[in-house]
Amino acid sequence: MTNVLLGYQPLFDLFLLHLGMAYSQWLVLRAGVFSLATVGLAAVGAYTGGILVVTLGFPAPVALLAAALAGGIVALGLSVPLARLRGVYQAIATVAFIQIVLSLNIYAAGLTGGPQGLNGIPKTVGTLTLLIAGILTVYLMYAIMSSRLGRAFDAIRQNEAVAASLGVSIVRHQTLAFVISGALAGTYGALEAFHSYALAPSQFAFPFLIAVLSYVVLGGRNTIIGPIIGTAILLILPEIARPLAEARMLVYGLLLILVINYLPRGIADTLIERARARRLSARLAKSDTAPTTAARS
Amino acid sequence: MSLTLNNVSKRFGGVVASDSVNITVPKGKITGLIGPNGAGKTTIVNMITGMLAVSDGQITVGDRDITHSFADEICRAGLARTFQNIRILPDNSVLENILIGFHRHEECSTLAAMLGLPAARRESGKIREMAIAMLRRFGMSALADFPAGGLSYGHQRKLEMMRALASEPEFMLLDEPVAGMNDVESDSLAELFRELASTGMGVLLIEHNIRFVSKLCEHVYVLDGGRLIAEGAPGVVLRDPEVMAAYIGGEHA
Amino acid sequence: MLLQQLLNGLVVGGVYALFAVGFNLIFGVQRFLNLAHGAVFMTGAFVAYYTVEAGGPLVLGFLAAVVSAGLLSVLIEIVCFRRLRKSGDAEFGAILSSMGASLVIMTVWQWISQTQVVRFPFDTVPVVIFRFWGLRVSLLQVIMIVAAVVIVMIMAWFIYRTSFGRQVRAVTDNEKAAMLVGVNPNRTYNMTYFISGALAGAAGVLVGLAFNNINYMMGEPYLLFGFAIIILGGLGSIPGALLASLIFGMVQTLSIAYLPSGLTTAFIFSAMFLILLVKPTGLMGREEAGSLRGRR
Repeated sequence: MTNVLLGYQPLFDLFLLHLGMAYSQWLVLRAGVFSLATVGLAAVGAYTGGILVVTLGFPAPVALLAAALAGGIVALGLSVPLARLRGVYQAIATVAFIQIVLSLNIYAAGLTGGPQGLNGIPKTVGTLTLLIAGILTVYLMYAIMSSRLGRAFDAIRQNEAVAASLGVSIVRHQTLAFVISGALAGTYGALEAFHSYALAPSQFAFPFLIAVLSYVVLGGRNTIIGPIIGTAILLILPEIARPLAEARMLVYGLLLILVINYLPRGIADTLIERARARRLSARLAKSDTAPTTAARS
Repeated sequence: MSLTLNNVSKRFGGVVASDSVNITVPKGKITGLIGPNGAGKTTIVNMITGMLAVSDGQITVGDRDITHSFADEICRAGLARTFQNIRILPDNSVLENILIGFHRHEECSTLAAMLGLPAARRESGKIREMAIAMLRRFGMSALADFPAGGLSYGHQRKLEMMRALASEPEFMLLDEPVAGMNDVESDSLAELFRELASTGMGVLLIEHNIRFVSKLCEHVYVLDGGRLIAEGAPGVVLRDPEVMAAYIGGEHA
Repeated sequence: MLLQQLLNGLVVGGVYALFAVGFNLIFGVQRFLNLAHGAVFMTGAFVAYYTVEAGGPLVLGFLAAVVSAGLLSVLIEIVCFRRLRKSGDAEFGAILSSMGASLVIMTVWQWISQTQVVRFPFDTVPVVIFRFWGLRVSLLQVIMIVAAVVIVMIMAWFIYRTSFGRQVRAVTDNEKAAMLVGVNPNRTYNMTYFISGALAGAAGVLVGLAFNNINYMMGEPYLLFGFAIIILGGLGSIPGALLASLIFGMVQTLSIAYLPSGLTTAFIFSAMFLILLVKPTGLMGREEAGSLRGRR
């Protein structure tokens, strides 16, 4: 039994790492920012952490903090042009940002190890650390979304005019969402670095961007459990059906097309919505019958 | 203290949508703004609330100049509005739609909100109770948890009004609040508007329906083609030949 | 030397124009960013290659590539976008849906080509070099520039001078109004996507010939350059995309020649950021409605 569980430990670690990235993506989308920058910000965090530990000999916890800070600060800088853009333009600009990070990582070989990347990062992060990080992340998301910030994010995403007319500062809230998302991506980038001995620039490119987006879209964009469901399904699926692992790209592609067209709210959001509708109609039926029974008695 | 528009103009390229408009909305009264379709009524509301840039003139609340303030700052200066084409947040529940209305009054720190500290949780709980009380006042408690997107037209209008009221404004701009409602519904809203004014709120009622306005307002402004063509007591203004011409022309042209 | 670089840049820019104009056409008509455009482009290159490899003449390969890329693009519209047009979240949905299509198409070509790089036979286009004013121009470059100019002109004539073009522009302005006057939007979209795909297919063949390196990943960098071009030229603007492609081709060639290698991409995309900072809808893009976003 223990052996079976241990066999799945690497998969569980991967799940926790990707879950953090998924939440980074989820949070900005929830605040109505059409950013795809998570992967680039994760690269910033990963390299900050990796370089601090390997080249400068910093202890891992300090490097982790620095990575979160770096992710947040870069996101803050990025938010200046992003605030001026809308929709599609934000998506394009953030994809360009990923490209800039990617090519700078390759170019600055002296610092980053170039195309070969950084090697020999001491492994200081294990399942327990990742689990704690995961729990803290879910709590943070829950706290944010049940506070005035979450209410403001939801309003901005659905209708900017309404949000502004109710006193919500759109730019301030979107910047905040983006900076938190950046710090989260930076943190998980560094966790990834400290978990896997080596870093390569190509890790933080299009395939990863697509994976992270797929987790969020498949799971659901408007509930906290959405990214958990999406990440779990997309990571477990190839494990239970080996042929799917070889055609991972095809599976992601087909799923994206199908989900966007036929289940646009994602699995978790759709199920939660259905459950709520059932509960409400049951309650409505009860309140309809209540007066009649009262009259009879 | 009042909301004042002083020679306010709006030009889109060469088109003049508002031409030197002067309006005063005193507190504690319902002021009417009427005019045929396309007269530029909504343009005025959008300029007051910061959703359209003002080309010329000045808008003040008391002695505070809000002409070039942003929409969210104008809300915090004590103005709230409803929209002519209803804009509720469809993904959210009815209750959540009202909660966002209290945003202006939430003051816990960003850090407390992010980390879910007791201060933030207490505040969330408090506004939740206020929102529930608001729903009760409007007789919609039973709908609190329903998705707002599925409400009937009349309920959506009411919900929008509750949301605006939640910000506890000093001035309320109502953009055609009874459009599409039957007489019973609009009468009950008329009662509500009187009540709001009696608590000291300044109400600007933008309407197409002359009868509704003349019932509620002591003072009305008539807009046609972006220009004010008359103002005064409804009984007097509505007999003005220019106003009658604008309405008859506007309705039948 | 500089003049030679500029000339090379112009040729590359012409091919970019084929790619970017089609990309921008779809954005102009539907406000959708078609991320599968790079995959359509690659499909053109592969179809031409396999036609030539099977013994067909290059011209046949070119035609087959253009037609199949056009049809593939229509298929993408039907499968990925048609349902979305009616949903509220179409802008976001279209990006993900076409990203999905791109992955599927890439996988298919990865299987067919068995993840190998394929190359046209050595003398598919005879190696002939013309020299004048101290410049060197190869026959291939001449073919590229002529093809690009002719194709873009045909397309411009189609859009600006035919009744179909008027319909496309009517649907672009206002789909509902166009339907009221009897324009069938689905037919218009089919034609638009066909043209867009055909242009990408043509670009794919020319790039395949020029760099002789056809593989299942070749679309990705072009998609990124397509982004940069439409930001420079303005999303939805066809003349903007044309001009921007030429500028872009030259800037890229020059920066490869004169900038430290590896920095080119960073340079190009940083320039793109600067442009967006100054003008959020791109250099030649239409201004969109005012904003109520306020200050931070």
